[in-house]
Amino acid sequence: MSDKFIKFEIVTPERVVLKEEITQIILPTRTGEITVLPNHIPLVSSLIPGVIHVKKRNGQEDVISISGGFLEVLRDKVVILADTAERAEELDMSRAEEAHRRASELKEKARQGEEVNFAEVNAAIERELARTKAIRRWRKIKNLE
Amino acid sequence: MASTRDIKNRIKSIGSTKKITKAMEMVAAAKMRKAIEAVLRTRTYANLSWLTVLNLSGSMNSSGEALHQLLTPRKEIKKVGIILITSNRGLCGGFNAAIINKVHESIKKYHKIGEEALVEAEFVLIGKKGAAIHRHGQTVVADFPKLDLASEVNEIVPVANLIIGEYLSGKYDKVMVAYTDFINSAKQIPRVKQLLPIEIESADEYLGIVGQDVRLGVNKEFIKAKEDKHLHSGEFNYEYTFEPSPAEVLDEMLPRLIEIQLYQALLESNASEHSARMAAMHQATEAASDMVNELTLSFNKARQAAITSEIAEISAGANALAE
Repeated sequence: MSDKFIKFEIVTPERVVLKEEITQIILPTRTGEITVLPNHIPLVSSLIPGVIHVKKRNGQEDVISISGGFLEVLRDKVVILADTAERAEELDMSRAEEAHRRASELKEKARQGEEVNFAEVNAAIERELARTKAIRRWRKIKNLE
Repeated sequence: MASTRDIKNRIKSIGSTKKITKAMEMVAAAKMRKAIEAVLRTRTYANLSWLTVLNLSGSMNSSGEALHQLLTPRKEIKKVGIILITSNRGLCGGFNAAIINKVHESIKKYHKIGEEALVEAEFVLIGKKGAAIHRHGQTVVADFPKLDLASEVNEIVPVANLIIGEYLSGKYDKVMVAYTDFINSAKQIPRVKQLLPIEIESADEYLGIVGQDVRLGVNKEFIKAKEDKHLHSGEFNYEYTFEPSPAEVLDEMLPRLIEIQLYQALLESNASEHSARMAAMHQATEAASDMVNELTLSFNKARQAAITSEIAEISAGANALAE
């Protein structure tokens, strides 16, 4: 392993989700999934709901689900300003699935012309989907399944 | 000397005023705790996002122009939009007067800078007490209601949309936000901060970055240090790559960050308001206690005087009978 690392920080309006020195990070941007390694060129991009995969400096890995936000990459630093974000180990599978199901029902209702904000419901579905994905990825890493 | 009954009545009425101020102090204290929690939660995000925007504002495209309209300073400043955040209710000491005076001062400063034509100012109010700005002869274009405890960024979105729209349409050449910065529960400072265009020179005032309180100052010095590093190492002009394109990313990003800044200003104001009210009510309670003590003293004196004169009368009467 090289001794190069990135100072990584992910914050939401509510809290600092993770602040860590990392060696690699995979992110879902608007134009597709990208991987950032140390010495990346400065980059600004917007993120879509999905899963962030982090390799920490001590060799451990972490999975974070986000529901959109912005990414700023500097030479030795990555800052993510997320709308919402949770680390996979904080998430509860059954609750995420339940929320996803509820949101889908709402969407169905919206199709039938009921008074629901379609865009908001869609965003909720994507957020919950990102959460379930994050949990699956996390379990895979930890060999739980 | 006032009669004992008058004094007794006054003691009673001051006593009930004291009860009210005491209760208000306690309510304000509870609200303040919540407001401070809210302010601290968003501070890191607001500061980091502001830093990102400042980084961006320094970078130029190939033809030497700023990357986005919201980042371009205008050459001529004719009209300034000011968002004024005040409280909904009074009884909070000099809280509202302080911010309104501060705004008034900074407007006057503008009048001086623009030597020929005066710079016009228009106000957008958040909170009922801001209406007092009318008295300074200012124009108010919009008045938004404010909830007592802000809980979501969404509450501020209409204000942000309005102000960004007016800026882009060219109605305003500069947008300022006037709010009260929360430093600690004993100290709040009214500030007028430039919101649009986003300029690096106006970076001296962050939201909630001043002050040394251990509880609050978690990230302040850290961010300050980062800013210094950026400014002095000459690395501030990062050549950013944008994906998919600068316009698309910035169109989405800048309004969002403006919202966050406004939201943070609102939270800082809320925390300040409740602290100010708590302090004001505490003083009122103490003043009432002092007054009750004083009045009790004069009540006792009056009572004693009354008894003395009564005894004197009786003994004078008895003496007259004995003769």
